Amino acid sequence: MRPGRLIGKAILALAGFLAVFPLLWTALNALKNNVDIITRVPRLVFTPTWANIGYILGRDSVLTGLYNSVVACGSAVLIGIVLGLPAAYAVARYPNRWAGDIQFFVLSLRFLPPVAVAIPLMVIWLQVGLYDTLPALIITYSLLTISVIMWLAIPAFQSVPKDIEEAAFVDGYGAYSVFWRIALPVAARSLAGAVAFSFVLVWNEFLIALMLSSSNAKTLPIVASELSQQGMNVPWGILNASVVLLSLPPLLFLGVLSGFLNSVFRQKKT
Amino acid sequence: MARRTSLPVTFVVPTIAILLVLSMVPTLYAIVIALQNRELSTPDYSWVWLSNFVDLFLDRRFLNAVWVSVKWEIVTVVATMVVAIGLGVLMFEVASPRLRNIYCLLFIIPVLLPRVSAAFVWKFAYHPLYGIATYPYRLLTGGLIFDPLSKPATALFAVASVDVWQWGLFFAVIVLKLLETLPPQPIEAARLDHAKRWQIHAYVTLPMLKAPLISLMFVKMIESLRSFDLIYVMTRGGPGVATETLDMYAFSQGFIESGKVSYASAMAVLMMIATVITFTMLWKRVQA
Repeated sequence: MRPGRLIGKAILALAGFLAVFPLLWTALNALKNNVDIITRVPRLVFTPTWANIGYILGRDSVLTGLYNSVVACGSAVLIGIVLGLPAAYAVARYPNRWAGDIQFFVLSLRFLPPVAVAIPLMVIWLQVGLYDTLPALIITYSLLTISVIMWLAIPAFQSVPKDIEEAAFVDGYGAYSVFWRIALPVAARSLAGAVAFSFVLVWNEFLIALMLSSSNAKTLPIVASELSQQGMNVPWGILNASVVLLSLPPLLFLGVLSGFLNSVFRQKKT
Repeated sequence: MARRTSLPVTFVVPTIAILLVLSMVPTLYAIVIALQNRELSTPDYSWVWLSNFVDLFLDRRFLNAVWVSVKWEIVTVVATMVVAIGLGVLMFEVASPRLRNIYCLLFIIPVLLPRVSAAFVWKFAYHPLYGIATYPYRLLTGGLIFDPLSKPATALFAVASVDVWQWGLFFAVIVLKLLETLPPQPIEAARLDHAKRWQIHAYVTLPMLKAPLISLMFVKMIESLRSFDLIYVMTRGGPGVATETLDMYAFSQGFIESGKVSYASAMAVLMMIATVITFTMLWKRVQA
């Protein structure tokens, strides 16, 4: 059994290395001059430069992309919270004969191929004159955030102990204040995970943003992908720096999301 | 909690109404556009009814895209599940609780990355001359060139490897958490019967987890449909049409090459019908 365990540990260590090394290497390349990147033998020792990161942060297109991404994703997530959480609570706590259908409908939105949504929406936004604007992007993303937040928040609300809510009713709370003062705070941690997940989803979204913007409303993923299309004229260090900038926001949620995963599976156990 | 209150109506109706409008308007409109002959270059159009669909089935490039999409689904779903179960079981067997926590954190990182970022990271890594992933090959062969992304035979697998890097590692974490929720008694019993470690998993734990594992596969099948970003950044459907999936082809018909929005929309409608039917049936079976 011993050599087997050793091989197992080695495979795991290799997988762990593969999980993060490509990203670390990209971050390292973001600090390199072009001569240190374009080498046949990868260079670990080099004189770091801040030029790539400075260049990225100084470019108008990148800053506009960053602004667009933050506004579009932030607003869509906010709309998702306002509309998704109450609906999820109602489905979780006041189940009626449509509850199953509602849940399936919300999930089935995830089956829709993004192209199938993006093409008609592009034509629609062109006709109403909202093409290439942030409102169009926000409305489109809301479909994503509302459905995802709802889907994940239903089980979160279901796991709130019913007794607490019953006790609040006995104390004379109305249905709405039970939602506000009891269910929301008690489920807050799981709900934060659901919200973080929906943010990562729209932040990373590419196809819809690509089809719904031409110049003004480009989000950061689009700007980053365009940098690369200028071919080898763009120094690789700059490209690497833009990848790092794009990847940082979702990684900020690493802690919240892994806590969310843990709480989901702890509930299953009991 | 059968109280008389307006809460369910005020909370559910507006949200569902908005979701219905936001999803049905584009869906129905996609069908309308597919029956016309709109192009991006002119505002004029007329109704051509089903001729776009007839053209599609005579279009060899479309049939190729269907085949590439099917290959993509199979390769990514199977590879993801194999990696996830393999690494999940390994973590369960040989890693201490502290190490498990560290691995779980590391394995979630790739899936959080925007697909555009993941695609770039690996596009650099696969570069034949300067890439870090091709470096070992250059080192061992004394400088031979290996360019996985520009060979028709390997391009799809090279792009799929990025997808598995993101999802396989993430699902390994979920498989581990599922294994941890199992009651210890059946495993103990099998151990007393002198079952080998792999036998315990093949015959006891994994069959116990059949339902959640199938749901997991279902989720991956849906996510694999969203391959566009990876392919767009890494190969643009190339070399030739070797990695041109349906969404990539629809995009290039509608936007890059000819602006034939209606033709692209017809393709999208077919995809939509196929996926909605398939997944509705699968979902009902998973739930049953």
